[in-house]
Amino acid sequence: MNVIPQLILNSIIAGSIYSLIAISFSLIYNVTKFFNLAHGVLAIIGGYTVFYFAQILNWNIYIAITFGIVFAGFIGLILDKIIYLPLRRRKASNMILLVASLGIMTALQALLSILFTNEFRTLSRNINEQKIFQLLNGSLTQTQVIIIFVAILITIFIVLLLFKTQFGKAIRAISDDDEVAKIVGINTDKIISYVFFLGSAIAGIAGILMGFDIGIEPTMGLNLLLKGIVAVIIGGIGNVYGSVLGAFVLGFAENFSMWKIAGEWKDAVAFILLIIFLLFKPRGIMNK
Amino acid sequence: MTKNLLIALVLVIIIIVGYFIYKQSLSPVTVEPVKIGFIGPLTGDIANIGENLKVALEIARDEINRAGGIKGRQLEIIFEDGQCNPKVAVNAANKLINIDKVPIIIGGLCSSETLAVAPLAEKAKVILFSAASTNPTIGDAGDYVFRNVPSDTFQGVFAAEYVKNTMNLTKVAILKCLSDYCVGVSDVFKTKFQELGGTIVAEESFPQDAKDLRSQLTKIKAANPELIYFVSYTDGSIIGLKQAKELGIKAAFFGADSWSDPKIWQEVGKIGDGALYVEPANKNLPETFITEMNKKTGGKEINAYSPRAYDALKLLASLMIEKGVDPTAIKDALYTVKNYQGIADNYTFDNRGELTEGRYIVKRIQDGKAVEVK
Repeated sequence: MNVIPQLILNSIIAGSIYSLIAISFSLIYNVTKFFNLAHGVLAIIGGYTVFYFAQILNWNIYIAITFGIVFAGFIGLILDKIIYLPLRRRKASNMILLVASLGIMTALQALLSILFTNEFRTLSRNINEQKIFQLLNGSLTQTQVIIIFVAILITIFIVLLLFKTQFGKAIRAISDDDEVAKIVGINTDKIISYVFFLGSAIAGIAGILMGFDIGIEPTMGLNLLLKGIVAVIIGGIGNVYGSVLGAFVLGFAENFSMWKIAGEWKDAVAFILLIIFLLFKPRGIMNK
Repeated sequence: MTKNLLIALVLVIIIIVGYFIYKQSLSPVTVEPVKIGFIGPLTGDIANIGENLKVALEIARDEINRAGGIKGRQLEIIFEDGQCNPKVAVNAANKLINIDKVPIIIGGLCSSETLAVAPLAEKAKVILFSAASTNPTIGDAGDYVFRNVPSDTFQGVFAAEYVKNTMNLTKVAILKCLSDYCVGVSDVFKTKFQELGGTIVAEESFPQDAKDLRSQLTKIKAANPELIYFVSYTDGSIIGLKQAKELGIKAAFFGADSWSDPKIWQEVGKIGDGALYVEPANKNLPETFITEMNKKTGGKEINAYSPRAYDALKLLASLMIEKGVDPTAIKDALYTVKNYQGIADNYTFDNRGELTEGRYIVKRIQDGKAVEVK
């Protein structure tokens, strides 16, 4: 039997999840210019919110999902308002913002552990009724099909938002030079807080999808974020298409390397790829 | 002036110290309890088994104390969480050995906990007694290291013979987590299975906390085995079984004793049906033990190790009553234990602190429950 079709599918699934994290991470990075390490944990918060409403309170799953997405975005917004914004106003360096986000990540992760324990949870209940599609000798579950479609839709949405709307223009202006943006009359703080909401909500979507496909646990955020960051760096920082491309390059590299070497080295492959890019193509694939 | 103040101060100190010495001489001689330690996963992945073990130990402790304790001294167990993680287990052991000064530690549960703690226990001359760790190398981990669960040198051989001779299958794939336990038992299985003439068509591994086994399973599927020998702890097993189903893997699953955690079968539901696993054979448990366990756990299934932990504490308590609480005396006595009648098994230790024999049963999953295959 041929493994290639299944490996391609596995790569696409992994790439889709990574692309959601990469896009949302770079969206926030572009306007704030610091590595927001708390971003991964927001994805997990989205997942746990759905877990709480759908499995503990037994709410309708669609309402729970909507809630999860909005809640993740809301937490992102709050973090900006009470922590990042005051720091920015004080002209804190990016290093201080990075350390602050590391602190937030640790605190939020601990909070999730306290509320939900460290146990691994899956959001999907009836795995037996899950439809499985066969595609050229490989199989794909319903959830995975949804993951791929959501990744495509979010990418299109972000591209349209950035290049076809006034709001997107403001984001691009801030990302080029926030001082100049301020001078021409853009309310940068307001735009940045919207970007935090949007980016965190997309991270929340990624976390929820992962919760349905694999499962979630409080400590999973950092690893997920690191994969997103690797994707962003491979693709080229600050470029939407680059983030998506980087995510899929990473997904394919991870899964195809497993073809010839043992599966335990998956994470090592991701970071070796990162080092290679940092050494030989530090600006990524898409940036000249 | 300062001189007077100094004299007054000295007097006050003398009075205070004198009062406490006087008071202490008045109070009756208190009988200090005998404290022993426990290390096992009470949170995380394998907490389900760890918590069950804890309840069994509490039952044994209460019975011992009701019967007069250790020569009139109450027995106390200090429960520490090892999280099935060698680093955490070592921290717990350091606390038990250096602060609580326990003569005996019952644990760990996971082999990686036991192997990590063994050198500390050996150095401090503290007995480390596991009721659940099965890695083959534990027998050589130290003079003070014992266990009343058979080594995986028995289990791996039993599983290989069962698959090859009873099930008549020859093409097997191995999927294992990278912990001391998983690697230990699957290596024994592999060697024996090949010796019996079987073929290992694929061998894949994953870190103990991995959450995505698709790449590994994809390769296994391509190798087209008749059976997959899958050794993993609870979370890895749940994920692996689900993802195997998603990938359309039809081969039968065969597991090791870590699958005696009922949580796995509740979580995977119908997917688990037909899976087989091996666990140490226990005697029929006494009704009183079963009722007590059910009362304390709210009717949770009793895993294969809990009655062994109960036996371990009962055996150690009887030796403490006989020889006192000196670990070296208890250690010497343990090596001479012959055919001790416990509720789970009869125990005889060899000169490595290992059980001299291991008997096993095979269980099959039906409707989310493990049923013994006769």
